[in-house]
Amino acid sequence: MNNGKTVVLIIEDSPIIRLGAIELVRSAGYEALEARNADEAIRLLESRADIDLVFTDVQMPGNMDGIRLSHYIRDRWPPVRIMLASGMNILEESSLPEGSRFFAKPYSDHAIADMMAQMLSETTPQPPSQPG
Amino acid sequence: MPKPAIAEAASTLAVVALSNEPLLFLSADLKIIAASTSFCRAFDIDPLTIAGKHLGALGGGEWAMPRLASLLNATASGSALVEAYEIDLKRPNQKTRLLVVNAQILADGQIDNIRLLLAITDVTEARAEARHKDDLVREKAILLQEVQHRVANSLQIIASVLMQSARRVQSDEARGHLHNAHHRVMSIAAVQKQLAASEGGTVALRAYLQQLCDSLGASMIADKDRLCITVAVDDSVVEADVSVSLGLIVTELVINALKHAFPDQPSGTITIDYHSDGSDWTLSVRDDGIGLPTGRDAPKAGLGTGIVEALAKNLLAEIEVSDAAPGTSVTIRHRADTGRDADLAPAA
Repeated sequence: MNNGKTVVLIIEDSPIIRLGAIELVRSAGYEALEARNADEAIRLLESRADIDLVFTDVQMPGNMDGIRLSHYIRDRWPPVRIMLASGMNILEESSLPEGSRFFAKPYSDHAIADMMAQMLSETTPQPPSQPG
Repeated sequence: MPKPAIAEAASTLAVVALSNEPLLFLSADLKIIAASTSFCRAFDIDPLTIAGKHLGALGGGEWAMPRLASLLNATASGSALVEAYEIDLKRPNQKTRLLVVNAQILADGQIDNIRLLLAITDVTEARAEARHKDDLVREKAILLQEVQHRVANSLQIIASVLMQSARRVQSDEARGHLHNAHHRVMSIAAVQKQLAASEGGTVALRAYLQQLCDSLGASMIADKDRLCITVAVDDSVVEADVSVSLGLIVTELVINALKHAFPDQPSGTITIDYHSDGSDWTLSVRDDGIGLPTGRDAPKAGLGTGIVEALAKNLLAEIEVSDAAPGTSVTIRHRADTGRDADLAPAA
């Protein structure tokens, strides 16, 4: 299905923040995909079946913000882990899909990478080829 | 003049006529016995045309409101009480007025001598003003949220650029500086977040310093089993600008301890302590690391030291660096009765 690498989809409209997120994902050893808004993200999710985690901004131009997008992903691709980040630090946790994690901006790269590792280890079915 | 069943006392009529609040004095069948001059003025009614007229025939018939009439009838029969009843007064070519009506039954026991006193207040402007104020408050809150959102996004951009630069540079020293700059940005962000949530321009220090240290720990401590930061703060609440200075001092001292105190130690703790008594307060940042190098190994004062000194001076506080055996303790102490304070007007 994939080349064995964990795939993380980053959705962020600010190019500089997106670039930073891509580098953070790559330094953590994952493959990074990028989208500028929800429509692009959905197209990517529809076109490939190997996305393990999405890391999305909340305020974005386009038809869906990150919260609506995260619910859409939870409904259509339930195994995909969801992380959100926003400059709005007062955000109702209850408005997010169950199991998703929220970070206020500016986030620390370490905190994001740690949480990605934790979420990916929590519910990933162990691949048989994984060395013991 | 139509003949009233019973003559009204002249004093009653005078009280009604002279009332500052628009008043109508009605018989039980809603005929006007008297109206205050203020009523006639406020609602453009010719005072000479009113006596004996039915309420519904006043002016251009704008007072012929079925709901008002039925409520007044009910009041006259004693089955209802009109208290602060709101009605819209509609007149051709005029803005609709919002009125608050109070009706009072005046009965002296005789069934044929029931009178109604109607007090009418025009609240159109007052309501519009209240609504306008609400709108302004809401707008201001939205604007403030928007500003905070933008500040957070800008800080994220700066943090991203610094991290990307740090990944690219070859020199360890340059990378260290970029990481420090990143930690400072994160600490400013924690400060800003706390200020945004603070009300009345004051900040509760315990939650604030805890959040600050969580943020510093998350970005600087790679192995969380090895190093930890503990925060022991009393219930002190300080002015926002004081909290900013204290937060920056803690940031610098914690960065310094994380960088220098535990080069090879298997574990270490940094303790932040703040307590106050009246306007006296003490902030200390202590580590249980290797302690201060002396003599030739003593490091020259860096940027962090300069920042801490400047901020402490600004807060009229003294800095004391001491051996914590093991480790180092830096104490920032403010005494209200020190001589330097005499130069300043008291804050309260």
